[in-house]
Amino acid sequence: MDNFLDKHRSRVVYFQEKYRKRGKNNHKAEIPDQLFSKCPFCQELIYTKTLIEQAFVCPECGKYYPMSARDRIDQLTDSDSFREIDRTLTSVNPLDFPGYNEKLVQAQEETGEREAFIGGWAKIDNIPLCVGVMDSHFLMGSMGSAIGEKIARLMELSIKRKSPLLIVSSSGGARMQEGILSLMQMAKTVALLTKHNESGLLFISLLTHPTTGGVSASFAMLGDIILAEKGALIGFAGKRVIQQTIKEDLPDGFQTAEFLMDHGMIDMVIDRKNARAVISQLLKFHEQRKNHVSN
Amino acid sequence: MHKVLIANRGEIAVRIIRACKELGIQTVAVFSTADSEQLHVKMADEAICIGKESSRESYMNIQRILAAATACGANAIHPGYGFLAENSQFAAIVRECHLIFIGPETDTLHLLGNKTHARLLARKCHIPILDGSANPIRTLEEGLAQARDIGYPIMLKAVNGGGGKGIAICLDEDSLKESFFRTLEEGSRNTGSAGVYIEKYIESARHIEIQILADKQGNIVHLGERDCSLQRKNQKVIEECPSPYMTETLRHQMGLAAIRLAKAAEYINAGTVEFLVDNNNKFFFIEMNPRIQVEHPVSEWATGIDLVKQQLLIAFDNQLPFRQGDIHVKGHTIECRVNAENVFADFQPSSGVIRHLVIPGGPGVRVDTQLYSGVTIPPFYDSLLAKIIVHAPTRKEAIRKMRVALEGLVIDGVTTNQELLYVMMHNPIFVKGTYDTNFLTRAIQEELNG
Repeated sequence: MDNFLDKHRSRVVYFQEKYRKRGKNNHKAEIPDQLFSKCPFCQELIYTKTLIEQAFVCPECGKYYPMSARDRIDQLTDSDSFREIDRTLTSVNPLDFPGYNEKLVQAQEETGEREAFIGGWAKIDNIPLCVGVMDSHFLMGSMGSAIGEKIARLMELSIKRKSPLLIVSSSGGARMQEGILSLMQMAKTVALLTKHNESGLLFISLLTHPTTGGVSASFAMLGDIILAEKGALIGFAGKRVIQQTIKEDLPDGFQTAEFLMDHGMIDMVIDRKNARAVISQLLKFHEQRKNHVSN
Repeated sequence: MHKVLIANRGEIAVRIIRACKELGIQTVAVFSTADSEQLHVKMADEAICIGKESSRESYMNIQRILAAATACGANAIHPGYGFLAENSQFAAIVRECHLIFIGPETDTLHLLGNKTHARLLARKCHIPILDGSANPIRTLEEGLAQARDIGYPIMLKAVNGGGGKGIAICLDEDSLKESFFRTLEEGSRNTGSAGVYIEKYIESARHIEIQILADKQGNIVHLGERDCSLQRKNQKVIEECPSPYMTETLRHQMGLAAIRLAKAAEYINAGTVEFLVDNNNKFFFIEMNPRIQVEHPVSEWATGIDLVKQQLLIAFDNQLPFRQGDIHVKGHTIECRVNAENVFADFQPSSGVIRHLVIPGGPGVRVDTQLYSGVTIPPFYDSLLAKIIVHAPTRKEAIRKMRVALEGLVIDGVTTNQELLYVMMHNPIFVKGTYDTNFLTRAIQEELNG
């Protein structure tokens, strides 16, 4: 239908242009970069500040965004308490694996980190501890020689300072580009962890989505207390590999945090928003117990 | 040269566009696919479609509104009322994009949006508040205990509720048990946050609000009161100024209280402080609405001040051109809200095409509307069609003028509450001016039964 207002309007515009003076509009609104983040699950645009306040849990669909190691440290530890160690340690290409060098450089540029793990010294509610966090944005958080070394050194620091240790895992497993050398890191981290254990120190392992392969088969599953984030995929091999090997059907969701909780593999499934509170509580229990024993 | 995007629709968008045009400001309308033929779209210098009919995908969608603002090179956004007007996150994002948000500061919006904080602020300013729970209540046991402390009757209010939703009045324990979870749910459906407040309920009260204006230079004035006691299901229907109940002293006291609160909240722009007034002339703070209100024309005519123009001028850093001493409430002003609803079918909203339209006029009559002949009223949004505002030297003359205006109004095509408004203008209690907040519901019931 032809709207009579449209015809009227063209007359109005004609007179406006003829009789009205108009200034210039040189203003330009700017939408800052990363004002919104698109949820990878529900595709909604979320105000980034809200997302950070909500510990990277989508306020629309409730799913957990993958978190970078730095964001995780910000979420879990007292502000400005983190002191990083071995920041510059990085992998080399010992087997001359084709394309590995390029992949490393690309991952470093994309994440701004040197490796898929950062570790150091921090405080949670004023309790000092050693914290290490894996970053799945960096080559899927895979564990190569450099990461193994960084984790081992973090464990040594923890033993030296007699402090609790927290490692947040998210990893696809061993780094295939480093072959047998990366598998060696499983033995190395476990050896150090045994020493840590013998010193009577607390190790809290927090498993996040996904924790698989060599990482789940070594230190990650050896926590004195093993926590897992809701819905996280945790396992050694993938579902199809297992099915082809054992030639049996597998139950739905058999590698989720909740399934493992029901089957006694982990101690607690936690909501990401409560992670800091839970860890802080555990550290406080441990402190009390320590004081009690030494008295 | 300014360019304002109006993030709203209906009569308020039309009202804002008019004010902008008078100030030589360029206007940009946004609209949903259901609204392409609406008057605000036809009137604005530019119009941008921002999504589907559901307001979530259009008028409530922050990203799309920002995209529209960037695309057309606007430098300010006026949120109107409803939709995103009181959303502090929206205000924050608008400002982050180097746009002017025509309304209070983000922190002020955040503070006033939280009923606990707003009540604390009022207490700090020595403004009486009704006895009530300091914090949101989530369990029935807690609710029953609180209600016992306060004493029945009590009112339940959902956290972040508003616009008449998420409110229940409980006369005793049984009705509290019955309403508790429904109210709790109503609050969480809108915003996701659970909890209700419990407040003492005054049985015979008047809802009187004070309009204020504050500029960035620190000047704050009040523009007198509006009596909004004539409500149905907590939705205002008829408003007037002066309140037939008001005395010069009470107006002065309430005005000062409103200004104190606005100062404490570091308020900038137009806002309204709502009070309940009991039979002993004691007033209690309810909440502060940090936006322009539907019934703003009542104060405009009572004082001769164009509120929307002042909103724009304040946002563009101008100082208020008057002081408290310059503001006088003159004559009597009444506003009736004409809604697209069927009085005889439980006030169900109606929609359809406006076939014929006659707008009443003459001295002392103002009609704010988005209607024109041939326009379609879409069923997706609020049902307000027009506001009729009359102004006369005395209340009696104003009532007569309103009757004549309502007689002259023709809206052919949709069912409206026009006849109900006309009947109310003849109701002896209304004419006498001795009504309270329960009056309208009762009067409608009597009319429907009689």
